[in-house]
Amino acid sequence: MTAIPHPPRFGARSNVPPEGTRGVLIAVLILAVMLGGAVLIGWLLSGLTARVYPEAPPYMILIYGVAALLLMLPVVLRLFPWMVSWYYLFPALVFLAAFTILPIVLTVNYAFTNYNAVNSGNPDSALRTTATISADKRVVTLGETPQSDSVQQYLRCETPNCTGATLVLFDDQASVPYKARIASVDGLQITLAAPFTTDIEVARATRLNAISYIGLANFREIFAKASRALVPVFIWTVVFAFSTVTINAIAGLVLGILLYNKNLKGRNVYRTLLFLPWAIPAVISVQMWVALLNQQFGIVNKGLGLLGLAAVPWLNDPLWAKVSVLVVNLWLGFPYMMTATISALSTINEDLYEAASIDGASRLQQISNITLPLLKNSFTPILLSGFAFNFNNFGIIYLLTQGGPDQQGREATARSTDILLSWGYNTAFSSSGQSNYSLASAIALIIFFLTLAISLVNFKAAGVFEEARK
Amino acid sequence: MTAIPTQDAAEVYVHREPSLLRKALPWLVVAALVLAVGVLAFYLNKSMEGRQKSFTIYFVERGWVRFLLFLLAASGVLALTSLLGQRIGMARTGRKITYSAVLGVQLTHLFLMLVVLVAIYPLFYVLIAAFDPRNSLFAFPDFSNPNILYKTGLLPRLEVLSYENFQKLFEGVAIPLWQLALAGISGAALTALGIMAIIGRTGRESEGLNQTRTWILRILMVAVAVLVVFMGPAQFSGSTNESKFLLSVRNTLLVSGITGILAILLSTTAGYAIARLRFPGRFQTLLFFIFIQMFPVFLALVAVYTLMVLLGLSNTFTGLILAYSGGAIAFNTWIFKGYVESLPESLEEAAMVDGATRWQTFIKVVIPLSGGILVFIFLNQFIGTYAEFILANILLTGVEKWTVGIMLLSFTQGQFSTKWGVFAAAATLGALPIVALFYGFQGYFVGGTVSGGVKE
Repeated sequence: MTAIPHPPRFGARSNVPPEGTRGVLIAVLILAVMLGGAVLIGWLLSGLTARVYPEAPPYMILIYGVAALLLMLPVVLRLFPWMVSWYYLFPALVFLAAFTILPIVLTVNYAFTNYNAVNSGNPDSALRTTATISADKRVVTLGETPQSDSVQQYLRCETPNCTGATLVLFDDQASVPYKARIASVDGLQITLAAPFTTDIEVARATRLNAISYIGLANFREIFAKASRALVPVFIWTVVFAFSTVTINAIAGLVLGILLYNKNLKGRNVYRTLLFLPWAIPAVISVQMWVALLNQQFGIVNKGLGLLGLAAVPWLNDPLWAKVSVLVVNLWLGFPYMMTATISALSTINEDLYEAASIDGASRLQQISNITLPLLKNSFTPILLSGFAFNFNNFGIIYLLTQGGPDQQGREATARSTDILLSWGYNTAFSSSGQSNYSLASAIALIIFFLTLAISLVNFKAAGVFEEARK
Repeated sequence: MTAIPTQDAAEVYVHREPSLLRKALPWLVVAALVLAVGVLAFYLNKSMEGRQKSFTIYFVERGWVRFLLFLLAASGVLALTSLLGQRIGMARTGRKITYSAVLGVQLTHLFLMLVVLVAIYPLFYVLIAAFDPRNSLFAFPDFSNPNILYKTGLLPRLEVLSYENFQKLFEGVAIPLWQLALAGISGAALTALGIMAIIGRTGRESEGLNQTRTWILRILMVAVAVLVVFMGPAQFSGSTNESKFLLSVRNTLLVSGITGILAILLSTTAGYAIARLRFPGRFQTLLFFIFIQMFPVFLALVAVYTLMVLLGLSNTFTGLILAYSGGAIAFNTWIFKGYVESLPESLEEAAMVDGATRWQTFIKVVIPLSGGILVFIFLNQFIGTYAEFILANILLTGVEKWTVGIMLLSFTQGQFSTKWGVFAAAATLGALPIVALFYGFQGYFVGGTVSGGVKE
């Protein structure tokens, strides 16, 4: 970095950005203000729109926000001309903030709550009760309190007087919920904080199943059941990712070295054919393998029958199911490793082999002393990124075995072939997990940290940070 | 890109004998692997004990012995033909050819043929099953047939094949004439491209041929895009899931295509800025991108799901595409940055000396030079999105919005019945576009992915 001839004039509209950390911070601050302002404007305008047109879709906030950003761009550029460099990055940063950063922040947030199918932040429709409202629209009288002894228990208030809690009111149709804040509770009578002015005939009421913070309870649950879920699933995830990369790499290396033989006629035909498993979308081919690996009718067992071998319970036995996952992932993954080997081999100087053969080295010696050591450099990052990819390779597990088959002494969401990610998915979205979104978020948080550790090692080895610093 | 060698010229190579542990390490690893495989085999064998032989499968007693004998015989024949080949070759070329080299090549052929058979036969079998109305993926073999291949059920019966499974996929589908015409144009364009690829193989490349190919490609792209955008759920009146299969293909193509375009739009400007502009915060932004890339969007799937429900975008393509867009940025920016850095900077400098602004330089100099890498970014994103499953499965709940993967899953894990014949037909049709893209753009794809894998 050369020294700037004269110090940049702040205050004046300079084309030169402020130097160093200060410049970064100012730029980030400006971007954050723009983004925050756009979100605020979007929120206000969409709220207004919802008042006027109640049917207006909730995503209007996005449209208003983007419009506000577009209007802000030229104004900010007038004030800070040097921001133009950041404008190249702006679309990417906005999308990352909205659809990557925000979900991650929300995930961290949910991990400490009790968010699930019941506590979803919606009115409880199962515990609805009759209600009447007084003439001054201040006092609501409940008909009864289902499944609880008092209004306090029914509404699950934190204070004895229920001040600040929320009551949900309906008309006779019970179609649209209206929320009202509570000032105090006396017997079955609930006094509202403000008169309920909405023009409906109040006939029913219910509580709000609010999402509340429960501290580390989700993590405690995970670690309390660690021997039934976390530990075996984690071990299998690591074993799966490690062995599938190893097996694929060995197969790819062997095939790649065999196909890189110039004397082999028709090697392009072999290459084109062996390419096919890579070309077919995995989402289709994995499901195909479910049929092919069927114990009674699958072609694989029919083929083994021809060889006089017993019918293997590929997907029905906990251990064999693990083998099946590895076999199918080998079928899916070897073409990539083969191609990587071939393109890495083509960068090796031919003279080395020539010199070696003049010195009398056999083909095997050439492979073990020239090819493999030189391949090590280009293979390390491929193997590491393969490990990181397979660590979260949800698709093959879910589509091939759905995590099954069942295994003794395991949670219903963490069966014999479940990896960490599919365990989290089952917890949130499968029938066995009962939509426990907060527990799934806690699991996701654990996966975040593991993925982070793997990726840091990965990038360190691949020299990504060095390339970034240039 | 090339690293400057840092070693001193005075530094000379000194041979050091590697330590004993280092010498033994490969063998220790091999021993550990063998041990692991042995233990695994022991337990697998144990789990097989006491299992009844399946009555649905025809067993050939000691079939593996016959197979080994066949391999041995084949190797013997190859040993003889190699000897012959070596003699004839030496006599014809007059050079010395070693016997082991010829035999090695022959045995490699045998080995590769076996690998191809094992790897590709399942695909062939599914392809035949697609035309078999008897649900042959799940059929009893023909025990009474004298031919051993039919008796084991390995070879499908070719005489019963029909289009029945495919007809089920197109039941109640109304395709207006203009769509048929567009489909015809696309088909013709594809055929023409195929023929031109064959002509190109024979080596008669010419400027005219290249130009024609570009035009045909453009026509194909426009026709397919119009078809995909204007095909709608109203055309699919069938009551079954499978009659909406074509709609699911269209949905997947639409989502993948828009995600691919979005990936280009979002990552090119960012990649260019990081590669060329020097401003405080550039390195930090790059680190931030690398950091973000570590977290695939689907890790935050609960939050993505909740966010889309809150925004009213669940069960819409917009929501799905937005969810994908976050994951599409970091990697592609990194790839494009690497590409721009490999371009000579002098071109841009010349343009700027001539009075072009940065933005004009980017649009008029850099973008026209980056055709190949843009094709790669688009294809990589397109194919990745086509095969994506987890987010689509969570966000798309209505049959009319399903993508191919979810549609296929409904055939195989359907609540009431599994329809394997229909599945095979649908899998064949659904895989075709991607296989065609893959082989059509093999060069771009392989080079980019492998180098991307190295950089990732």
